Amino acid sequence: MNLTAKSNSKLLIHKNMKHIISLDQNSIDIILTPNFYTFIREELDLKFNYQAKQIAESLFDDYVTDSHEYQYHVYKCDQHWCFIAYNINEIDTFLTSVGIEKHQVSKIYFTQQLLDLIEFPILLDEESVLENIDNTITLVPKFLMNPAIEYAPLDMSSFKLKGGATMSSSLNSYVSLKETLMLGSIFCILGTVSILEGNRIKASISKEDAKLTELLDENPRYTSSLSRQSILEKYKPIDQIERAKRSTIKDISKLLSNKSQLKLLSIEKNRIKAEIITNNQRINKQVKEHARAKKFKVSGASLTVKVEKSL
Amino acid sequence: MNLMTIQRYKNEIILMTTFIFSIYAVYYKFSANKYVNENKIIIQKQINEINAIEGYKKQWTDKAMAKKVKIFKTIVSSSKVKLFSKKSSKVVASYINLTSSELNKITNKLLNIPIQIIKLQVKEISKNKFTMEFTCKW
Repeated sequence: MNLTAKSNSKLLIHKNMKHIISLDQNSIDIILTPNFYTFIREELDLKFNYQAKQIAESLFDDYVTDSHEYQYHVYKCDQHWCFIAYNINEIDTFLTSVGIEKHQVSKIYFTQQLLDLIEFPILLDEESVLENIDNTITLVPKFLMNPAIEYAPLDMSSFKLKGGATMSSSLNSYVSLKETLMLGSIFCILGTVSILEGNRIKASISKEDAKLTELLDENPRYTSSLSRQSILEKYKPIDQIERAKRSTIKDISKLLSNKSQLKLLSIEKNRIKAEIITNNQRINKQVKEHARAKKFKVSGASLTVKVEKSL
Repeated sequence: MNLMTIQRYKNEIILMTTFIFSIYAVYYKFSANKYVNENKIIIQKQINEINAIEGYKKQWTDKAMAKKVKIFKTIVSSSKVKLFSKKSSKVVASYINLTSSELNKITNKLLNIPIQIIKLQVKEISKNKFTMEFTCKW
């Protein structure tokens, strides 16, 4: 039986496997034999995977060397927690040596995860056997096995695996998948919020824009700013002067009373003049004071008050 | 760039794409802000100018003014209207022997309609008797 043969994109990886000449698929899943990992099963009162992952490193203190950096894979196995420590660089080096590029590897599984499938010993090569010993998948030298034993086949296409480690998150990329998802999400949210905000800001003048378009459609000759300015320059002084004339006449009317009568009022060439006759000097003085307060040019002798204003 | 390279650097590619998207989006937001800040004032100014022109035109060149000024012919008894002439967009009127109240009535009317007062002359000719002349246009 050739266990290293490619089957349904799953490949069993062991130390004495043959060099792979070429892979038909760009993406494969690999199943690592115990050569490549250290396994611990513990009965722990933990509920969640992340809790188990947090303590994984400390569990392997006495089992792995500090000289290498290890990655940890954790999963629930019946009433226990299963912990697997592996060195991704060591795996990568080995995979390269047998002709598998790291970017071709999608997921990493461990033979321990095949526990239910390995009921009988499986012959890996001429020297080693994969055997289930007390619910732990172990590599056993072939010479220790009973020569009369019959080895079971392992059909790689007959089962599906769940919960493997991601090769890309460990090695392939400079940025891990977790970081990619986190940063990517932040960038996407930032981008989406910015675009929505930008649209909202742009829409804030759409009402004014529509109003202007409507006004220009009604009056196409106002499209030119020069034309608008020219018309405004024509009408603005008229408006100002006519308002000033009316305001000045009202001011003059306020100077009039029973004791101060209008004698003359004239408007000519933006100049307003009025002549008021008062009954006595006291009223005359009052009228003059009021006129000055209203910024009229005041003159006149005796009981006459002449007021004048240029607009 | 082949498929393998894309797969190998997919995290970086995803990250770069989302980063470029966010940069573009932020740039878009600032551009929108700048566009609005620049154009809001311009648009508002244009609307104000057009409204002002329309307002001025409606006020000072009212087409219905020709009918409105006819009131100056009948505002006091005809014996006191020495002259009333309306030609094109101009009106000339002259009154004699006006009492104070009549003078006030004509003056108030004149001040309260949007018409350009070109010339106005009010004179007291005797006690409580006035003459009035005005030339207006619209």
